[in-house]
Amino acid sequence: MHVNVWGEVVGNNVGKFGLFLIGLMVTLAVFAPLLTPYGPFEKTDSKAFAPPSAEHLLGTNDARQDIWTRLIYGARTSLAVGFGVSLLSTFVSVLIGGTSAIFGGFYDRFWMRFVDALLAIPSLVVIILVATYLRPNLLLMIVLLSALTWPGGARVIRAQTLSIKERMHVSAAQTFGAGWSHILFRHIMPDLGPILVAMMIQDARRAVFMEAGLSFLGVSDPSMISWGKMMQFARVFTYMEIWKWWLVPTGLALSLTLIGLSFTGFAIEAALDPRLRRNRGGHGARHDIGHVDGHGGD
Amino acid sequence: MRELQAQNQRSRLKLEAKAAKAKLALCEFIQLRRVAFFSNYALALFIILTLNFALPRLMPGDPFQAIYGEEALLVITPELEAEIIQRFSLDKSMTEQFAAYILALLRGDLGYSYYYSEGVLDVILDFIPWTLLLTGSALIISTLIGLFLGITSGYRRGKTLDKSLLALLMFLNGFPDFFVGILLLIVFGVTLGIVPLSGAITPYSGFGGIDLVKDVLHHLITPMTSLVLVWISTTYILARNTMVTVLGEGFIVTARAKGCREREIEYRHAGRSSLLPVVTSTGLHIPHLITGALFIEIVFSYPGVGLLLYNSLLTRDYPMIQGILLMVTVSVLAVNLMVDLLYQKLDPRVSNAR
Repeated sequence: MHVNVWGEVVGNNVGKFGLFLIGLMVTLAVFAPLLTPYGPFEKTDSKAFAPPSAEHLLGTNDARQDIWTRLIYGARTSLAVGFGVSLLSTFVSVLIGGTSAIFGGFYDRFWMRFVDALLAIPSLVVIILVATYLRPNLLLMIVLLSALTWPGGARVIRAQTLSIKERMHVSAAQTFGAGWSHILFRHIMPDLGPILVAMMIQDARRAVFMEAGLSFLGVSDPSMISWGKMMQFARVFTYMEIWKWWLVPTGLALSLTLIGLSFTGFAIEAALDPRLRRNRGGHGARHDIGHVDGHGGD
Repeated sequence: MRELQAQNQRSRLKLEAKAAKAKLALCEFIQLRRVAFFSNYALALFIILTLNFALPRLMPGDPFQAIYGEEALLVITPELEAEIIQRFSLDKSMTEQFAAYILALLRGDLGYSYYYSEGVLDVILDFIPWTLLLTGSALIISTLIGLFLGITSGYRRGKTLDKSLLALLMFLNGFPDFFVGILLLIVFGVTLGIVPLSGAITPYSGFGGIDLVKDVLHHLITPMTSLVLVWISTTYILARNTMVTVLGEGFIVTARAKGCREREIEYRHAGRSSLLPVVTSTGLHIPHLITGALFIEIVFSYPGVGLLLYNSLLTRDYPMIQGILLMVTVSVLAVNLMVDLLYQKLDPRVSNAR
């Protein structure tokens, strides 16, 4: 596959827009302390439910906290979860999917059976149940979400590895006596490059959505600042005007993050899929993208 | 000459025997696959059962408390406690506890909810129809609209209408359903006041017949619209992509050459072929019908399984949460199994695939 995937993604309007949104959110998250004079938990001197002003860009909430501050610190949680889950779950996918393809035999059958079983389970409800008992903090949330995200990726990686391992350079490495980890991480992983990135973005999107959803349900660590939780709190006050600068910006921030991730994902998949590359008109939405998202994150 | 014929015959017989053997091996292979295929579902069920069993018992502190929640302890009398301990064999070893748990499940005993003062299974069965009404109608409507928009858009690929539809729907796809739900609720429920704020029927209204149907629809419209808005893009993109691929095919050119009207080509010739993948993908969403509206039900306080789960989370009604998980898993697994079996019947290639 001699396609300059990155060039295509950046050259594509959808990809450009997606990358811009992701960049925007990352900037907000990284520079959060510089963008606001308040701390995320700080009770300001203004009265509760203050409307937007020069001091408080988005007003204050019921606990006299600055909403803008909480919004940009919330980006940290969302992005950390998205990033963490995509790294961890992709790593496990590569490890299990890759070794299954390399070793084959009983080992392969065992893992693929396990993967199929996990894929058959409705993950949303399982995560809710586990989260109810464990009240996950950031780290545990990442582990929990990854535990139910990796099986899909493992199948993809296994299929890809099966074809890559037949290539000359892998056989050459084998004749030199390279171990499986060397073959997997040095010879097979680089060839998986763009697919891995597409997978990671998909995983990140799901993870951001799930984290917001779980916080919205109130089954995450109460001390975590999260967009989902902010929306849940703001929802109570819909009879006042405050939803306009509390609920809507938070929801938009979450939506824009999700849109950024899915647009970038679309662009990468379009660059990878030769059928859609020819059809320049459709900026590449692959046939199966719809299943990835939306529907309750299931 | 004769010898040659005989030899020929012999070799042919040998070949036939070989083919028969291969066929037998193939049958065995398929049989094996089928066993492996069911074992998937058995394994999935086992994982869920173990999770359900182990989670409350692995929690620090009294498993009794973890199984029934702290609040339930307030209403429990010593006799009841003794009964529960006996029922779950809490004083026995883990293996015996697991056996007791499975036996109870086999009797259809999912536990007892202290919040509803009713068996868990009975409560869940009360809530399921509303969920199915909501998700079922949303799935059908979003599929129909998505199909129509996808055909319209794909047929006019590259034109303004196509581009704006694609951009709009891809944008909508990014919005989480609960946010869309809250926005609709605020705009149409709170600000404009034209739709009810919560529930599925007006309580104590005593409506019957047509009035009842109207009332139910009135409550259904906003949550359903939220789901439709978020779900539509799946079908839309699928239908559009199929259209784009199909438009280059020979039979479209033929239809044009015959002098068919544009409308006829759009729907009768090209649109028809996008029907199959759309039906398939809609079928694949059937397992999501129970959990698909989880957040929407919470936002609109719509009395489905999602709201039940949420209320159980708030009241720490652990038996209920576990019961819901089990019910959802079992039904999802059952539907998946049926879909898989149906596919094998419809397409023999599937059973040999992998």
